[in-house]
Amino acid sequence: MNPSDRPGDRPGDRPGDRLGDRPGDRLGDRPGDRPIDRPIEEILRDLQERAKELECLYQIEELLLDTDSPLTEVFTRVARVIPMGWQFPLVCRARIVYRGESYAEPGFEAATSGQVAPIRLRDETVGRVEVHYTQTLPKADEGPFLKEERRLINSIAERIGLFLVHRDLGEAMAGLETARRTPGPAEEAPWLIILDFLKRTDQVLLLRIARKMANHLAWNGVGDALQLLQGTFPLGQFERQPTGEENQPLERTKPTDSLRIADETFAIAAHHLTEDEIVHLIQKWIKEDKSRFLVNTIESRDSSLVEVRDALEKYRAMGPEMIELTPAVEKGVLVSLIHAFCTDQVEFINTAKRFVRIRDFFPVIDRTIFPPKSHGKLGGKSAGLFLAMAVLREVRERNPALGRIKSPKTWYITSDGVLEFIRYNSLEDVYNQKYVDIDQVRQEYPHIIQLFKNSRFTSDILDGLSVVLDDLEGRPIIVRSSSLLEDRYGAAFSGKYKSLFLANTGTKQERLAGLTDAIAEVYASTFGPDPIEYRAERGLIDVYEEMGVMIQEVVGSRVGPYFLPSFAGVAFSHNEFRWSSRIKRDDGLVRMVPGLGTRAVDRLRDDYPMLLAPGQPGLRVNVTPDEVLRYSPKKVDAINLESGNFETIDVSDLLRKHGEEYPLIRSMVTTWERGMLREPVGFGPDFEKDDLVVTFDGLFRRTDLVSTMRSLLKVLEEAMGSPVDIEFAHDGTDLYLVQCRPQSNAGDSVAASIPREIPDERIVFSANRYVSNGRMPGITHIVYVDPGRYNDLSTLDEMRQVGRAVGRLNGLLPRRCFILMGPGRWGSRGDIRLGVNVTYSDINNTAMLVEIAKKKGSYVPDLSFGTHFFQDLVESSIRYLPLYPDDPGIRFDDAFLARSPSILSNLLPEYAHLDEVVRVIDVPAVSNGRVLRILMNADLDEALGYLSSPRADATDAVGPAVHGEDTPEQHWRWRLHFAERIAAELDPDRFGVVAFYVLGSTKNATAGPGSDIDLILHVRCSPEQRRELDGWLEGWSRCLSEVNFLRTGYRTTGGLLDVHFLTDDDIERKTSFAVKIGAITDPAREIPLKRRGG
Amino acid sequence: MSNKSYNSFEMAQAQFDRVADILQLDQATREFLRVPMREFSFSIPVRMDDGMTQIFRGFRVQHNDARGPNKGGIRFHPQETVDTVRALAMWMTWKCSVVDIPLGGGKGGVICDPHNLSLREQEQICRGWVRNMANDVGPLADVPAPDVMTNAQHMLWMLDEFEAIRRGKFPGFITGKPVGMGGSLGRTEATGFGVIFTLREALRDRGIKPADAPASVQGFGNVAQYAIRLYNQLGGKVVCVSCWDQNDQISYSYRKATGVDLDQLLGITDKFGGIDREKARGLGYEILPGDDWLTQDVVVLIPAAIENQITGENVHQIKKTVRVIAEGANGPTTPDADRVIQEREIFMIPDFLANAGGVTCSYFEQVQCNMNYFWEKDEVLGKLDVKMTSAYHAVADLARKRNLYMRDAAYVIAVSRVVEACKGRGWI
Repeated sequence: MNPSDRPGDRPGDRPGDRLGDRPGDRLGDRPGDRPIDRPIEEILRDLQERAKELECLYQIEELLLDTDSPLTEVFTRVARVIPMGWQFPLVCRARIVYRGESYAEPGFEAATSGQVAPIRLRDETVGRVEVHYTQTLPKADEGPFLKEERRLINSIAERIGLFLVHRDLGEAMAGLETARRTPGPAEEAPWLIILDFLKRTDQVLLLRIARKMANHLAWNGVGDALQLLQGTFPLGQFERQPTGEENQPLERTKPTDSLRIADETFAIAAHHLTEDEIVHLIQKWIKEDKSRFLVNTIESRDSSLVEVRDALEKYRAMGPEMIELTPAVEKGVLVSLIHAFCTDQVEFINTAKRFVRIRDFFPVIDRTIFPPKSHGKLGGKSAGLFLAMAVLREVRERNPALGRIKSPKTWYITSDGVLEFIRYNSLEDVYNQKYVDIDQVRQEYPHIIQLFKNSRFTSDILDGLSVVLDDLEGRPIIVRSSSLLEDRYGAAFSGKYKSLFLANTGTKQERLAGLTDAIAEVYASTFGPDPIEYRAERGLIDVYEEMGVMIQEVVGSRVGPYFLPSFAGVAFSHNEFRWSSRIKRDDGLVRMVPGLGTRAVDRLRDDYPMLLAPGQPGLRVNVTPDEVLRYSPKKVDAINLESGNFETIDVSDLLRKHGEEYPLIRSMVTTWERGMLREPVGFGPDFEKDDLVVTFDGLFRRTDLVSTMRSLLKVLEEAMGSPVDIEFAHDGTDLYLVQCRPQSNAGDSVAASIPREIPDERIVFSANRYVSNGRMPGITHIVYVDPGRYNDLSTLDEMRQVGRAVGRLNGLLPRRCFILMGPGRWGSRGDIRLGVNVTYSDINNTAMLVEIAKKKGSYVPDLSFGTHFFQDLVESSIRYLPLYPDDPGIRFDDAFLARSPSILSNLLPEYAHLDEVVRVIDVPAVSNGRVLRILMNADLDEALGYLSSPRADATDAVGPAVHGEDTPEQHWRWRLHFAERIAAELDPDRFGVVAFYVLGSTKNATAGPGSDIDLILHVRCSPEQRRELDGWLEGWSRCLSEVNFLRTGYRTTGGLLDVHFLTDDDIERKTSFAVKIGAITDPAREIPLKRRGG
Repeated sequence: MSNKSYNSFEMAQAQFDRVADILQLDQATREFLRVPMREFSFSIPVRMDDGMTQIFRGFRVQHNDARGPNKGGIRFHPQETVDTVRALAMWMTWKCSVVDIPLGGGKGGVICDPHNLSLREQEQICRGWVRNMANDVGPLADVPAPDVMTNAQHMLWMLDEFEAIRRGKFPGFITGKPVGMGGSLGRTEATGFGVIFTLREALRDRGIKPADAPASVQGFGNVAQYAIRLYNQLGGKVVCVSCWDQNDQISYSYRKATGVDLDQLLGITDKFGGIDREKARGLGYEILPGDDWLTQDVVVLIPAAIENQITGENVHQIKKTVRVIAEGANGPTTPDADRVIQEREIFMIPDFLANAGGVTCSYFEQVQCNMNYFWEKDEVLGKLDVKMTSAYHAVADLARKRNLYMRDAAYVIAVSRVVEACKGRGWI
């Protein structure tokens, strides 16, 4: 609220301090209300009017202080006084209407047009104040009335409302007092007093409670209550209209009817419940009622974010003292909030509701920018981080180190912002981009970026962004995409959409331009080739992609002209890249660099992030001082605050000049001296002279970073119920969590057994380093980029052509039936001599990516490490295998790969000149119909690719992975299966069974490990037969209970079957379970019985 | 070297047999020297970080200590074989003998991969090794040193364990320690300087002044850099240097006819001896293909990078101007190339002798430790000069007198010194 709207805040405006003076506040003259240079007489007349108004209010105030006189008298007197406040009191008449009764001076006649103000009692309109002129008068602000008079009448109506509350309260309190003072057993039960109180003060609430009581009773099988509900209970009619319509006369309600029903309900309740129970229930419902506004708004899917925000803000303003949510309501509201802000995904909601609290959303709404009428969400990245921080807060008692982890200040633009942006700029044609041929997408994408950057944002968003810039002033910012598809379970759109850094320096106008530019670019990235390709592949192309945006402050500090975190990186709770057999999968993996985390996330050409397995911190990738030196990070990504650019700089240069300013640096570097690495001690190191190597040794050895990282990954993995992938940064003081999402995982991969008897001549390659699990039984094509010849290419352009040829082959060859083999690092972005220059969309159809590390001199080239690209492979179940042909004991059939006939020139005549470099081998064609079979076993660290008959593959193709424990899917499946077995075994003639039904969780496929099997048997049997049937079913029941125990460990008492018997009579009368047969909702399902006599 | 398909011990024995033939050694002497005098093999149980116990295999081969305490490295390697270690121990005997330092030959190690071990576990292995060997090693018996995948840190752990067991300070027990912790100054310069000391003598023998003998160097690592420095100090110039380019993954040769300016090049060189190509071009260096160092019109070639660089295929590209080759690296010349060089009468200073500066300096480290008095760098390098020079002349004299190829002469002199010591002791 704008404070300048409240003239009453100025002390001089207050006519007095008594209750009831407040209405007068509204009459205060506001500076600027009227032109200053008015004629003096006009001012005098105004003052006169004002004096009249005040006089009128004083008198009414006096009258309303009288709580003893009957209502009729008080109201009639007030009606008499009201006209004196109006401009023409002599021809002015007033009346008060309250609950249908009219109070006025005798002879009052309503004119056709008058001034009306509603009288409200606890948000309910209970009556109105009317002012009429008895003759036609010149037009003023509102008909003949002045706008000051509108204020006055509203004040009077409000004052009368207060008076009514006060009066009701007084009566009720008096009643309560009387009840208390009555000696001995109370004549009236305490709950009756409450009801009485409500009757006087808040009938609407009373009726709601009555309805709830009726429901409650019916629920518990009280027939009378059911009848009451079916019959006359007023449904909804007592619900007040929330807003508006206040100038219309109210429809006449029938309070007496409603109240009678309420009384009846409670009479029934008194019959069936104890006093304590009733009081308890009433208390609970009254409490819940206070939060109705919150529940109604938030749980309604129609509520826009504005409404949700307003409801939340009201809730926040009321505070926990005013409004207490019952656990059930709280959970409901929470789930709806998670739904509204985060995601529809059940897994996420299930996790989030365990950790997130309603008040966690307060800071989020404060920092969310959204278009009007938005129903957008924050997007996956934002939601993931939000949830992770809630988890960390929950565990901070047990693990204070995790409690100290912070998250950077973040603003959000909801996901429909992009839609609004597109609409506002009429860019709708871009939606069809996802159905366009990928080559065309690639061509057009640069234009789309430009188009988006030259488009405009709505003023709503611009206003919001302006606030963001004020809030984040002086800090560089990062604009991250947070799309709804991104980071969803099982589909990591890692790196597919953009994240952009901004120095955020310059004038506000410049900063705003930079920010909008970045957001437009992030928006445009939705329509880039990689995301579209990726979505097409995962069957997500038709899903409406909305893009939320996160605007985060960059974690870090200033070092010289640069801004950067001391260190940053990514971490995975599952280590899919193990450099030692001693490192277990759940030992995790951290990739860490000095400066911005971009260098840990992206693949690097000439530099290395520090790798660490937090579960085995002692086992380092690099052991000898030479290795440590060679594979230490040499460069730093930072934001240059002076130029405003994102820059990559040499660590050694940075430290030489600004080492002293760099927070934590002493724990990050080791001095390199005559082949020895030494940890700096005392005042060391000497930044100007010493040769420094970034090893992070001090951090790893002397701080709790490793253990914090380890428990962070563990805790998040446990909470999310799946391995996680996080990004972090450290500003020298605090560790920040920047991102958290589920780690894609290769759960479908099973270790293949490696055959030992394959003759050498059939082996194409073997491997014994860094092997993961998997098997590809029927590879028909090999795309082999000859390492030697690739290296011999004389121009970079030719090398790029190799990448393009591979991309084209990727589109031509049978999906997942070919493998790509090539030198060094696939996907090199910088120096493409290190490996073929491809992006993910150029290789996404391959079954496997093989990197060949052929010795060059004494040097073995580095192969690619785990990166976003690597994750893509894992995501798409594309296997990765490094080959070291020069290792002892390794077979690598150079002749087969380099000399078998190649079909490249048939497939792509335009690339025929690369025939020697890129070879496409049609395996069956060159090997008598054999195919290449690849078996990989991570436990043995061995892999074998050999030629094998395709027939062998058909026979031992593996099914899906076998899981040790039952999935939820299986609980109902086997139950239903057994229900069918029982029906098939059951002899209808012997037991007199007519029909057999299954219902409940088994039928609905919702059975859990402890669920029973609900059956309905329609019987026509003698008592003798029934006894036999009982015995027969009992046997099944116990047996199944045992089966369930063996499967799940759940012990169900008294068997697993819950059998309900129905007779013809039951079915006739539709009693009890008979309603389930042929019911419209949730009917029981009939299962055929053993054929009679069969 | 250990991964060659041939058996390295058999190869070392064959080499010895050839020399024994030249020396016409008797059968007992041959038998005695063909195999190590002593071999130790033992288990080292280590409690791992995860609480499990793992057993590592450790060993030490002492080939011959007739001339003095055994000297040789300790290597950590997962695919170590005892034959490799035997061969290396034998080579140590000859290497110490050729520079005439009073040490025998040894080698040892543990079968393990430090990549699979935490530092604490590696420390336990080092200490376990010493506990097993404490009675059979020591400053006066057998002196270990760093080798494959071991470094100064491992040496300090071993020293500490040894001193704890022997109850005293014995810095001479082990070499390769950091300066200030019993290490010797001059260690960094020793090998490169040693190459040039022998080269200087070889040129003097041929009446060539360094100023008139431009050199071409392969490699720009530690050895090459100090070799160039000393050669410049002697008035010689190096006109071409080749080195590996990490970014391009190939090597380039950098040529400057007026001679390379070492300090200028070092200013644009990373820690691995990689020269910044663009900056070099800017400084007026010609950038040539990596192999071009060999084909320069120079008098001296110094291969100081890696093995197998001068081969049967490229040996013919060596210009006629070349008079001397000094092998700074280990095994840079293949046997077929070696024969061509011998035929062309290019003077060869074999690796064995030329790069013995390193082991000599280790000896100095041990000597300084034993007297607990450490020399200034000049003193170390001065003594190194004396040792290398006299070693060179002994070999060169023998080669001249007996008309032997330098490589053979070096072997002959090394073996005969050991034989003399054994006989003198009355062993054989």
